[in-house]
Amino acid sequence: MTTSGSDGEDVLLEVEGLTVTASKPDRTLVRDVGLRIGPGRTLGVVGESGSGKSLTARSLVGLLPAGLHAIGSASFQGISLLNAPERTLRRLRGDRISLLLQDPFTMLNPSQTIGAHIGESLPRDVRHDRQRRSREIERRLLEVGLSSEVAQRFPFQLSGGMCQRVALAAALASDPDLLIADEPTTALDVTTQNDILRLLKGLQEQRGMALILITHDLQVAFSVCDRVQVMYAGSVVEQAPAAELMTEPLHPYSLGLLRSEPPVDHYVGQLNSIPGNVPSPDSVRHVCAFAARCDWAADRCRSARPGLQTVRAGRTSACARVESIAEELRAAVAEIEHERSATPAPPAGPPILTLSEVRKSFQSTGLLRSSTRTVALNGVSFTITAGESLGLVGETGSGKTTIARSILGLTTVDSGTIEAGGLDVTSYRRLKSAERKRARRFVQVVFQDPYASLNPSLTVGSTLREVLALRSSSAADDEVAELLRQVGLPGSYAVRRPAALSGGERQRVAIARAVAMRPELLICDEPVAALDVSAQAQVLELLREIRRRHGMAMLFITHDLSVVRQMADRVVVLYRGEVVESGDTGQVLDRPAHVYTRKLILAVPGRGRRPSLPAIEPG
Amino acid sequence: MQVVVFIAKRLVAMVVVLLLVSLLVFSLLMLSPGSILATLLGTQPTTPELIHSLEERYHLNDPFFVQYWNWLVNALHGDFGQSIQSGEDVTTVVADRLPVTLGLAGLALLLVLVIGIPAGMAAGMRRGKPFDRLVTLLTIVGMSAPVFTVGILLIYVFGVRFEIMPVYGAGEGFLGRIEHLTLPAVALATGLTALIVRQTRAATMTVMDQDYITFARARGLSRSRILIPYALRNTALPMVTAAGLMLIGAISGTVIIETVFSLQGVGSLMIESVQAKDIPVVQGLALFIAVLVVVVNLVVDLLALIIDPRIRLSVKG
Amino acid sequence: MTAETALVVAPARTPRRPSVLIMLAFTVLLIVAVLAVFGQWLAPQDPTVQDPLLSVTPPGDGHLLGTDQLGRDVFSLIIAAARSAIVGPVCVALGCVLIGGTLGMVGAYFGGVADVAVNRFADLVYALPALLIAIVVIGVVDGGYWLTAAILIFLSTPYQIRLCRSVTMVQVRLPYVDAARTIGLTSRRTLFRHILPNILPTVVATLLLDFVAALIGYSALAYLGLGVQAGQPDWGAMLAEGQSFITVNPWLSLAPAIMLIATASSVTLVGDWLYDRLSSKAVSR
Repeated sequence: MTTSGSDGEDVLLEVEGLTVTASKPDRTLVRDVGLRIGPGRTLGVVGESGSGKSLTARSLVGLLPAGLHAIGSASFQGISLLNAPERTLRRLRGDRISLLLQDPFTMLNPSQTIGAHIGESLPRDVRHDRQRRSREIERRLLEVGLSSEVAQRFPFQLSGGMCQRVALAAALASDPDLLIADEPTTALDVTTQNDILRLLKGLQEQRGMALILITHDLQVAFSVCDRVQVMYAGSVVEQAPAAELMTEPLHPYSLGLLRSEPPVDHYVGQLNSIPGNVPSPDSVRHVCAFAARCDWAADRCRSARPGLQTVRAGRTSACARVESIAEELRAAVAEIEHERSATPAPPAGPPILTLSEVRKSFQSTGLLRSSTRTVALNGVSFTITAGESLGLVGETGSGKTTIARSILGLTTVDSGTIEAGGLDVTSYRRLKSAERKRARRFVQVVFQDPYASLNPSLTVGSTLREVLALRSSSAADDEVAELLRQVGLPGSYAVRRPAALSGGERQRVAIARAVAMRPELLICDEPVAALDVSAQAQVLELLREIRRRHGMAMLFITHDLSVVRQMADRVVVLYRGEVVESGDTGQVLDRPAHVYTRKLILAVPGRGRRPSLPAIEPG
Repeated sequence: MQVVVFIAKRLVAMVVVLLLVSLLVFSLLMLSPGSILATLLGTQPTTPELIHSLEERYHLNDPFFVQYWNWLVNALHGDFGQSIQSGEDVTTVVADRLPVTLGLAGLALLLVLVIGIPAGMAAGMRRGKPFDRLVTLLTIVGMSAPVFTVGILLIYVFGVRFEIMPVYGAGEGFLGRIEHLTLPAVALATGLTALIVRQTRAATMTVMDQDYITFARARGLSRSRILIPYALRNTALPMVTAAGLMLIGAISGTVIIETVFSLQGVGSLMIESVQAKDIPVVQGLALFIAVLVVVVNLVVDLLALIIDPRIRLSVKG
Repeated sequence: MTAETALVVAPARTPRRPSVLIMLAFTVLLIVAVLAVFGQWLAPQDPTVQDPLLSVTPPGDGHLLGTDQLGRDVFSLIIAAARSAIVGPVCVALGCVLIGGTLGMVGAYFGGVADVAVNRFADLVYALPALLIAIVVIGVVDGGYWLTAAILIFLSTPYQIRLCRSVTMVQVRLPYVDAARTIGLTSRRTLFRHILPNILPTVVATLLLDFVAALIGYSALAYLGLGVQAGQPDWGAMLAEGQSFITVNPWLSLAPAIMLIATASSVTLVGDWLYDRLSSKAVSR
């Protein structure tokens, strides 16, 4: 029942000219997207936020958010998907095409057991036969690596990884021919992400099912998919076999994405990034969407919108200059691997922050029952010396954020001591007012979520002026402009409110706010985890620069080992509230001693998958 | 086992609350202007025997807490004394008036549930569409209009202008009762329906935005499957809480609407007694209502326990 | 991909031009406000002038809406009653927001035993039939206009406490509040400069809802003959009086009913609209 494409290959789903628009106000969110996948094949759709990748996926199953409309053509085994009546779509969904979403905790019905989730999605004849039904539920749970007793449980009793497995089992319960997985691992911890990706790949191969994997992470796509297509500002910019895209991108944006990923296995002196922000699809209707951020942009890129053109068999690119710059792109990729720099020598200074035997547990009062205690920190000790950058690595529940909050006095530890800048700051409440002031100046913080860490009702200028006023009595406007300049933002941003800024820009303002206090220790709590790949590198490079300029020490909290490699002199690995390993960054990452550290390193997507690159060709 | 402990805890809390309320209810006697004796005598002819029996019954020469204690012990035996107006036992007076009120409340509740919940869910699923906008406007007017203004409009339109419905009294026989109670029930239900529609609409909109609804649709589940175990089941908890509060609010509404339609129910008895300063009746009614309120709250908690597995399982431990 | 979908859904809430309905609601409020302030100069006739010969007459003969039992002009009475209908509820609403808002905000920010106590108390009063309690207490103690205000404030404040507490709680958990504490701002500055602007939409909306609740409460009490002095023009009291004469001059009860419904609905409508507008403003600028 598969149709054949023009090149003789079997085609399961073929999309052409897909455009998604919003009414009120009129906007285009996805423009002229094409896509093709054969039975049993895997396709990765990669793009940053705002690229339209999720909307593309949702329009294929007819589940666009209210107010959005899709036009174009999408044919699934000869059936037209776009604007098909709900009845047709309902028959297709589950049975033929299924969709897996990002957040495992919100995807399942909170008032229904796991068994019911899988049972309700089974084919009709199995569903109505009680015995076969329960046998089948058990088999499906086993298939995703869960034991049969999970069937009796409710979603809130399971971990994120388990919920995602259940969701996968439910999505596959009617044995679809095509699974669309929309960022299925983004909300998970690194090690769990790795397990789920492997499971997904395994099931896809066993079942001979086609898979469209939507992700922001090129390495995740490479680890699962044969083909990858890159989306940018609502359009497709490049389509290629995964293995070729890795080494030979044919669009400057694809190269930019590859270059923006900080490597995990070596230190890079200058982190690459794509300057600027992603434009809205409507603002680049008549030009190359990437022209404003492209090193190779020429006049022709700014005068017309280049279409997707076939460069050679299996390769398409939306770069108007692809012929002339292909060689340069290839050389630039090769350079990534060779761009090794010596790790800078860690500064040797006196300790300025010392945690000894810090313990903290939280009392959680259940809705009705007596409270339970969870241990967040179980005897944590470490020091940071002046000017040093210490990486604190751990997954959800490791206690890394509790450490940051304790140092900042936002929470008080149960026992142990915290000494910062010669002050005992274990309990901020016991400090005298002058001491507390000193402690506040000594340590500052940049939080993870750039969308919530700035007050939405204050302008950037008043946020910064407020801090400057605390440091010195006279806070002039030019000081605000100077601060903004230091974090790479124009002074005109002072009058803007956070809502008018991109995620990366907000994080820059948050950094400016912290730096304005001239702290000796800057705590960065997952400062780039919520940012797009291209913005991540920008912010990391900014933090390095700030540290170089002010010589401040850093406590860099992250789950991402590649970030640690780039940002930290030393590493402390945290697992369930305990330090399991610590040492120089190079030593810990290259020769991990603890099992957990090794597991973390093995779980980094794309690690060891990048094939050895051809030597740079002369000329 | 833990469920039993939970219910026991709630029962203890109930008793404490009721004791507090009873203390306040008893102090109504003190609040009323004039001496307690004058209040209790009301307009009855003052005879030395009556004064003596009242002094004895209310222990007027003893300290406050002794008075309270005696009153409470009597109240627990269902003895709230005699009505100042009629001289009958308070319990008898209240029992006589109860059927009309129950009929009114039952009919109104039926209207609220039958109209309110479907309308709210339908509006929530058609967010922003003309139907939703119309419903939203109607709920705004419905919840803003004081209950007696709705009553008077109904009386004018159906009783005076077109003369098709009886507007005073409670009627005789089952059908007569229904006929007489329809307009009051509609008046009472208007505001409550508006509130329940608003709550249902909001709850439905929240649930319909959830990922699990998208995921359920993506798996091709049938419309009824999505409507009942997904949408209805997950809106049930906020709905039950809202319904409990609404029931309690309905008590005030009943009091007023019975006055508007001259119904001889418990509510109008309350107003008459308050106006006549018939404190024993007011006390009896107030405690009766307090018990009702506490029971409604308990039922809401128990229903929540049944509906939400998170609460249920955390109780079981 | 929640960020992407949020981006898509948000514009649906961008403030649109106020609809005809909102304009109508504002017009009603403007009229009522003008009547409340300038009513005594605007009334065509002196609402205190009685005419025993004109006891309850239907509209006509210089009386636009007829006369009441004492022969007073109903139209002028309606205008004269606007002030007492508005002033009390405004005071109640302001009182609720000031007391309840402060207790809720401070409680949520500092936590502790006082917060728990205030919250338990609020829970308790919240689950009571407020209007009935007002009826009983005011009836028993013969309370006047201002005692009524005090009792209504007492009974509606818990709602305000709970609401302000929960919206403040949401803000307190956001990192921008942590950031404000980390740079060493005082609690007062954090509360009033940082948190307050972000919960203002809710506070404004509840202010208006409190007003409606108080308007309903006052008029219901007046209807039952409580809380207002006899002879004082009042919509609720007029309605009660007019009910007996509904066949002779229906306007005696219909006019106050319409005024009450129109005023209360308009305030609710404006409250809803303002809430949507203010809360989407914070997102879209």
